[in-house]
Amino acid sequence: MIPILALLASFGASVLSGAEAGASLPHAPAAVCTDGSSYYAFELVTTKNIPGTGLATGAVEASVAATSPFSVQLSADGSYAYDLHVSLDRMNVPREGQLVAWVTTPDIDQIVRMSALDEHLRASGRVDWNKYIVVITLEASDDPDQEIWTGPIVMRGMSRSGMMHTMVGHGALQQENCAAFGYGN
Amino acid sequence: MISLHSTGTLLAVVTLLALPGASSAQHEMHGMTMGGGWRMVPMDMSMPMLPGIEGAVPVVGPFMPGMGMDPAMLPEARPSEVVPLADMDTLDISVSMVRRTISGQEMIMFGYNGQYPGPLIQVPKDATVIVRVTNEIEMPTTIHWHGVRIDNRFDGVPGVTQDPIERGESFTYEVNVPDAGMYWYHPHVREDVQQDLGLFGNLLVTSPDSEYYGPAHREEVFVLDDILMDEQGALPWGNESPTHALMGRFGNVMMVNGETDYRLEARRGEVVRFYLTNVANSRTFNVTFGGAKVKVVASDVSRFEREQWVGSVVIAPAERYVVDVRFDHPGEILIANTVQAINHFRGEFYPQVDTLSIVTVSDEAAEPDVSAAFDTLREHDDVVADIEAFRPHFGRTPDHELVTTVRVQDLHQSIVLSMEADTLYVPPMEWNDAMPMMNWLSTAEEVTWILEDVATGAQNGEIDWEFEVGDVVKIRVHNTPDSFHPMNHPIHVHGQRFLVLSMDDVQNQNLVWKDTAIVPVGSTMDMLVEMSNPGEWMIHCHIAEHLHAGMMFGFTVTQPAP
Repeated sequence: MIPILALLASFGASVLSGAEAGASLPHAPAAVCTDGSSYYAFELVTTKNIPGTGLATGAVEASVAATSPFSVQLSADGSYAYDLHVSLDRMNVPREGQLVAWVTTPDIDQIVRMSALDEHLRASGRVDWNKYIVVITLEASDDPDQEIWTGPIVMRGMSRSGMMHTMVGHGALQQENCAAFGYGN
Repeated sequence: MISLHSTGTLLAVVTLLALPGASSAQHEMHGMTMGGGWRMVPMDMSMPMLPGIEGAVPVVGPFMPGMGMDPAMLPEARPSEVVPLADMDTLDISVSMVRRTISGQEMIMFGYNGQYPGPLIQVPKDATVIVRVTNEIEMPTTIHWHGVRIDNRFDGVPGVTQDPIERGESFTYEVNVPDAGMYWYHPHVREDVQQDLGLFGNLLVTSPDSEYYGPAHREEVFVLDDILMDEQGALPWGNESPTHALMGRFGNVMMVNGETDYRLEARRGEVVRFYLTNVANSRTFNVTFGGAKVKVVASDVSRFEREQWVGSVVIAPAERYVVDVRFDHPGEILIANTVQAINHFRGEFYPQVDTLSIVTVSDEAAEPDVSAAFDTLREHDDVVADIEAFRPHFGRTPDHELVTTVRVQDLHQSIVLSMEADTLYVPPMEWNDAMPMMNWLSTAEEVTWILEDVATGAQNGEIDWEFEVGDVVKIRVHNTPDSFHPMNHPIHVHGQRFLVLSMDDVQNQNLVWKDTAIVPVGSTMDMLVEMSNPGEWMIHCHIAEHLHAGMMFGFTVTQPAP
């Protein structure tokens, strides 16, 4: 066995004492390793606008690993390139029209058509935005050249990064001068 | 011809980097001397000051090299020199204090043979060279030959393979280099301090095969680094243990080969081979080449199975990549670190582009024309054949599973509350220090980073893996997002080589032998380690502050019984 205590001691005695002292905060027990993309997965929520979709559930798995020679895949501007896998459940598929998955920015100023959902209500695609919304719409047909949805929104969901929220003007940081951070005067 | 800025003809300098405080509003405590001789960490107004931590300082004391000395008494450090060595040649390396000037600030740093980076040692594959190291700095040191499948006695790990080299003492390393490629050397004692202060250098192992790489007009070595400074110079480091234990010490001034204004000249159509090494304590770079065409050729311990076009190079601490770049158009090309940083106060990503180097491309055409070769993506049959022997192991159930996590104790309550509330979302990678004050205040006294063996529950030094030479071991590393502060970790294996088989179940279609690989938050990496080298070795995170906050363990490789 390697004399790890000696090693630790050589790095600094306080490191050793810290490790021995135990924790004041509990830490999660080691879990069985899982597919890492599940952390960035998020839920799709039904709009209940289409008959047969009121109880529908959906999920999007997002992975940054993909096929890059590096451990993460980035776009030219440094945004993550996410491989997205959409799956819907508990839905009566409308008899007419085609369910299509789209990705849009939070400001909905850019839209990318992912793909039509297959017979298993699955779709895949890639997006290189850090914050985005996945939208499922009911289109008249499967048109790969369509640039923007025209049908009603069936489901939608925000990427996990949407959980980042502004702390301006509220909470523990309300004493900060918002103007200094570019908010109003 | 390898060049490490050997011309010495620096053009007029235009740096796009600026010290925080020089160009942006800072919190009112900025630059003030605080308790215990600390200065508040640079933190511009895009970063919120958490209530309750104004005026707080780390629980450890500050360390500055050569405290009380006049820098003028020390020799000025000079740029790195190329040192070609043949089999059984000897090189003397002194580890000493030097005077450096970075961003106009003169300060005391460390150097190998008075150089920054240390000498670029060039050695033919399979050679053994003798390196006599004499320590003249005020703290013990060693040299770790990163990535080299070296004789275990010379791995440079204090307390395991050698005693630390005390001030005034020497140690002689015999460095045998079985694999061609770019390696580097650095201390394994308080890396967060010594490495950050300039103790690093490259070791280029050349192949006897003249066509090992494709044709290029020339080669350039880029050692990527950053340093944390304010208007008074470098911020002090932790004395008894590291500060910045949560995220590692991100610098705010970036350097190539120890310079903030590294410039190159190229001709139109010139193909330049860049050897990239990341020696930063914590920062992962995303290196872009201003739209020039880039192909990745090799990484830590081998070439890739196939060359591949890339838009940028993501390089974590301690990793190396070899890329060929063609500059097709005259003009100025910015080589930059291009990332989307996080502003926690606004809850936003924002683009952050820091110039690393400027390449001035002339209209003169490069001769000879190597475009056809450059446009061809080579397949490296010998690499493919080498890896083929390991393919039967790819689908195996992992032999060992590790989970990364962190434990804190006695951390400032404001930090604890803020961290717990603000970890609803954690990015896969931390590209910037988005919480400088909180990070600075966290030390290895309060933070323990953990590698945990899933099967046994053993953590860090409790893990005791044993293997035999010839074993092929599949290790799964899961970077759990369910911890106090999830963060990416570059995992380094000493003395062996490994393949990254998959990330998040996505099979790697273009393999390369590695010694360090980054695991983003939430991700699971399957790696296949060839246990080829007997001895007592380490596995650890190569964020220097994480390493010194406990994130390491040893494993033993023995010769099988006859």
